[in-house]
Amino acid sequence: MDESKKRLVQRIIRRIPAKMLKTTLEKWGRLNGEQQRAMDSIQSKWALTESLLDICEENELAVKHLAELEMIYMINNPDQGMWYAFQLTDPGDEAQSVDLMQFREQFKSHLKELVREVSVKIKKHTDEAVWIRIAWGDAYSRPDHLKPTYVVHYLQTPYVFVTRLTSKQKPMLSQAMVLSTRYQYFKDANLSGRNLTAIRDLLMRKYQQVFPTKYLSPLTERKQTNPHIEREQAKPAANRLQMACEAFGGGTLPQLQSAVYKLETKFRDHTNTLMTEREEPFRCAVKFSSKNLLESLKNCASSGIASTPVTPLLSSIPLKGKNYFVITDNGPGPSSQMRQTQN
Amino acid sequence: MERHHNSVTRTPLNSVAVQRRSKSKSYRLSYRSGIGAASRLAFTPGLTGRRLNTSRKAPKSDKITEKVTKEQLALLVKTEWKLSYVTPLYQFRHTQLKSYSRQLSAFIAAEKLQGMAVDVEGTQNPFRVSFSLLQEMTESADDAVTVLIQIHSKPLFARQDEPQRPVWSGWLTCINGNLEYLRSLPKDFVCLPLFCSSEAGGLTSLVKSWFQQSFDCCFGPLEISHTSLQWLMALWTNCQQESSIRQLKMIWTLPVEPQLQVTYTVDAEDAWQLWSSVRKENTAGEGGENSIDIEEVMSFMQGLKGHFFRHFRLDLSAGRLNEVSTALGSAKSSGRIKFSNSKYMITTLMLLTECALLKMPI
Repeated sequence: MDESKKRLVQRIIRRIPAKMLKTTLEKWGRLNGEQQRAMDSIQSKWALTESLLDICEENELAVKHLAELEMIYMINNPDQGMWYAFQLTDPGDEAQSVDLMQFREQFKSHLKELVREVSVKIKKHTDEAVWIRIAWGDAYSRPDHLKPTYVVHYLQTPYVFVTRLTSKQKPMLSQAMVLSTRYQYFKDANLSGRNLTAIRDLLMRKYQQVFPTKYLSPLTERKQTNPHIEREQAKPAANRLQMACEAFGGGTLPQLQSAVYKLETKFRDHTNTLMTEREEPFRCAVKFSSKNLLESLKNCASSGIASTPVTPLLSSIPLKGKNYFVITDNGPGPSSQMRQTQN
Repeated sequence: MERHHNSVTRTPLNSVAVQRRSKSKSYRLSYRSGIGAASRLAFTPGLTGRRLNTSRKAPKSDKITEKVTKEQLALLVKTEWKLSYVTPLYQFRHTQLKSYSRQLSAFIAAEKLQGMAVDVEGTQNPFRVSFSLLQEMTESADDAVTVLIQIHSKPLFARQDEPQRPVWSGWLTCINGNLEYLRSLPKDFVCLPLFCSSEAGGLTSLVKSWFQQSFDCCFGPLEISHTSLQWLMALWTNCQQESSIRQLKMIWTLPVEPQLQVTYTVDAEDAWQLWSSVRKENTAGEGGENSIDIEEVMSFMQGLKGHFFRHFRLDLSAGRLNEVSTALGSAKSSGRIKFSNSKYMITTLMLLTECALLKMPI
């Protein structure tokens, strides 16, 4: 297995940026003082790889220890790659009382039953998150540590976040999760993004929310040059700001990159009878993208580019914690659909 | 949503009756001053100045494929070109292409290899330039023939026997240029107002410098205005029946912090149905060629924006349309165009030629 060990070491060293390597190795705790100092003094990635391989020989470290190192790095730097949110639904009676030990044992044993060759590592992080690293294999090959899947689950909540997962692997993960957490279904939550913290905060509402209030706060925005405009616009601007915050939140908002809406609604325009009489929906797709989507949408609402109160299509992003929607004309159907706002 | 002002269509385009005030002077009136007297006084076109045509012929699957050869067309499609306008070229001869090739090649070699002794006439010159004509790429008899320029070069540390590869290409064209303007040019000037260049390796600026030196002309960046982008949307969607556009994609940016980009993609059939629903009842006179009016184009755009607004309560007019693309090609407001399909190139080029002529300072 030396070749696969070597490739894993290369991948890890390539992935971890130089400034994080020291702390990650320290947290890993498998190097003695001398080895740690040796690693700290090396600059080039190639030399680091060679050095780490030597250390593995010396300390007799196996692939599973290296997997641990990678996992430590991921846990401390979760905001990279693409994360997809899933939700567990229909809890059974014992769902609330599943504790860490139980979950751990059950998940490992269920997954091992489903996939004979699989390597599973479970770690609990300080913030109540259970991290799982899965290296998948099959009947013909050993677990592939170069393409692991990371799963993050918050016990006592129905939320699960997953990095890359192929369509073959999904049913097995789904089954293992469902059996070990005592829920019925493992469903796609239609929310994805680069930052785990962002989508977690969004889904679990860990950001500053603003509630409707009778007493509007005074407007604290940039100075207007014309006092007449300022006076005239103060109240409407304050209103817009309040409604924007109610829809999206106050303070720092979770960093989402995009939202996609697939529209399958009819074209309704009283000035265009030909189109309005059509039976078929007007099919189009709209994608909003930005460095921080929620911040952009909030500013659209507070500046008046978007009318307030904010339309439910946009406010669903934080409300439902989703960024992929299919909109049809029907009434509220399955959770991924919404009624079109009437003009 | 508010109605757009239709003032564009109300400006008189052909006030031919106005006499030129100073017949004795030999200078030529600028294109933009048109025939309207009022606009001569201002630097920017006055209210009665010439504007983009408000009505165009619907694009037909041009017979361009019958006329221009496949190899030549292949050079023009599927590349994204950066657009510039060029003022008329003084004493440019379509018959002197070989000489121009040598001159440009020497010029580039001299600039690129400054400080080194190089035999520019011999086979040592690493840059080979070829000028060629695309004979049949014209629309009217007054159009000058399209000129294609290609620069071939070997990569820096290539072996002896490695062939030269094309590293840059560009072309000058005039498709259906404004007749009055073309005929008003003095004899020695050739008008090829649209310059398309590939964006590679700093060669574009060298080519422009050489042209400026040799033909006393002027280059400038040509952006594609909002109106032109709307025209392209409509013209391309109009082709849906003959040749599927697959989808109509628009990219808008909204001025918020951080910048919000909206990509609005409409299915081909639905775009076509909306487009045909805004077409006016056209009297198909003149041999069945119906024309498209700017009002229809604007209604089309309005319909699309309205549908968006009804869902998101977000007014796209507050933002800027940056890019329009279909299976036939894509156009960016920064002045870049890509032809994905040669069939409707001529109509697009007609529009771009018009834009180039409008933007030229003289």
